[in-house]
Amino acid sequence: MSVRHGLLAMLAEETVHGYALKSRFEERTAGAWPLNIGQVYTTLGRLERDGLIEADPGSEVEEAHRGHRWRITGVGQNELREWYRSPVGDDPVRDELTIKVLLAIADPGTDSSEVVHRQRQATMQRLQSLTLKKMEVGLDEVAEMLLLDSLILRADAEARWLNLCDERLRARGLP
Amino acid sequence: MSERVVGEWTLAPGSPQLVLQGVTRFYETGAETVRALGPLDLRIAAGEFVALMGPSGSGKSTALALFGALDTPSEGRVLLNGRDLAGLSLDALAALRRREIGFVFQEFNLLPGLTAIENVALPLELDGQPLRDARLQAAEAMESVGMATFADRFPEDLSGGEQQRVAIARAFVGPRTILLADEPTGALDSVTGEVVMRLLRAQCEKGRTVVLVTHDSTHAAWADRVLHLRDGQLVGLEGTP
Repeated sequence: MSVRHGLLAMLAEETVHGYALKSRFEERTAGAWPLNIGQVYTTLGRLERDGLIEADPGSEVEEAHRGHRWRITGVGQNELREWYRSPVGDDPVRDELTIKVLLAIADPGTDSSEVVHRQRQATMQRLQSLTLKKMEVGLDEVAEMLLLDSLILRADAEARWLNLCDERLRARGLP
Repeated sequence: MSERVVGEWTLAPGSPQLVLQGVTRFYETGAETVRALGPLDLRIAAGEFVALMGPSGSGKSTALALFGALDTPSEGRVLLNGRDLAGLSLDALAALRRREIGFVFQEFNLLPGLTAIENVALPLELDGQPLRDARLQAAEAMESVGMATFADRFPEDLSGGEQQRVAIARAFVGPRTILLADEPTGALDSVTGEVVMRLLRAQCEKGRTVVLVTHDSTHAAWADRVLHLRDGQLVGLEGTP
């Protein structure tokens, strides 16, 4: 995902100043993706260049010290709708854990079961820490809850994969 | 946190409530002897929430049956609140299960002919408590699992999640301080399963000891300590003991 679509989604809700977009985006996404303000202004410049947003006429005169308020254009609305309609693509397998385990299996000097075991401990601790956070989040705080659900289920998938690694390595008699 | 009275015993928080010393459990299958568990040494503190994980046949349910005095070890000792279970008569073991240990299973095991509150009150009535006292305690337990308004419904009129909440209330009603849960979310959807985990965690926060058997990492993560069993042996643990 690019910041571009995130900002377009914010501007589709209402016309706002650039500085307000950062906090609004972070609030909507439960702090999962902190932005820096430079990133926001650079992206706004590109969105304007591509005709997806435009400065709200009048806002510059009234509130010159705060810069433009920005609004989404018809082209920007179409781009945003298309983004929501398009499924997110799958990344190729290149995460460090998968690669590390594959390399450990191939390395006769490395105890691959130990690599798996250490990682499983770390993954389980991450799951416990995320679950602890879940206990503190109210059931009505939907964005925070969904973000934690997402992180927990990813960690769970990792834990399941590590369990499977363990079973397969044992079945093949690998160290 | 003050000391807690458990039956006739007084337990300081954090003191070992369940102890396994060199416990092994063999089963005879025809001419073959299979070791289902152990040798296992384990201490579970009062007020601790422990999850047991592992593949099928790893010994999780065997361990839980030993904790709950439903089974006896082939070798070694199981101590509950300092008492060696091997020294107790069958009647004493039955009394211990009624008064000190609550069980929650995947299947809710509620009696269909009794209402929800009657199911919860039943263990107290079986233990000789006056009906009025049993009902009062059952009503409190139903309240604490958010099921007060369902008290007079029969199990068939409750959803799976609601039945499991009643089963949890039944498991901790009265003076019991240990909850043993064997895959309690196995028959529930994810969101309802999480409600059950929150209830078990809440019981732990109130000072009860919870031992959960699960194959689900997301549920084990509600525990203070996660133990991994494989071929009857502990192979790893996470969390703070």
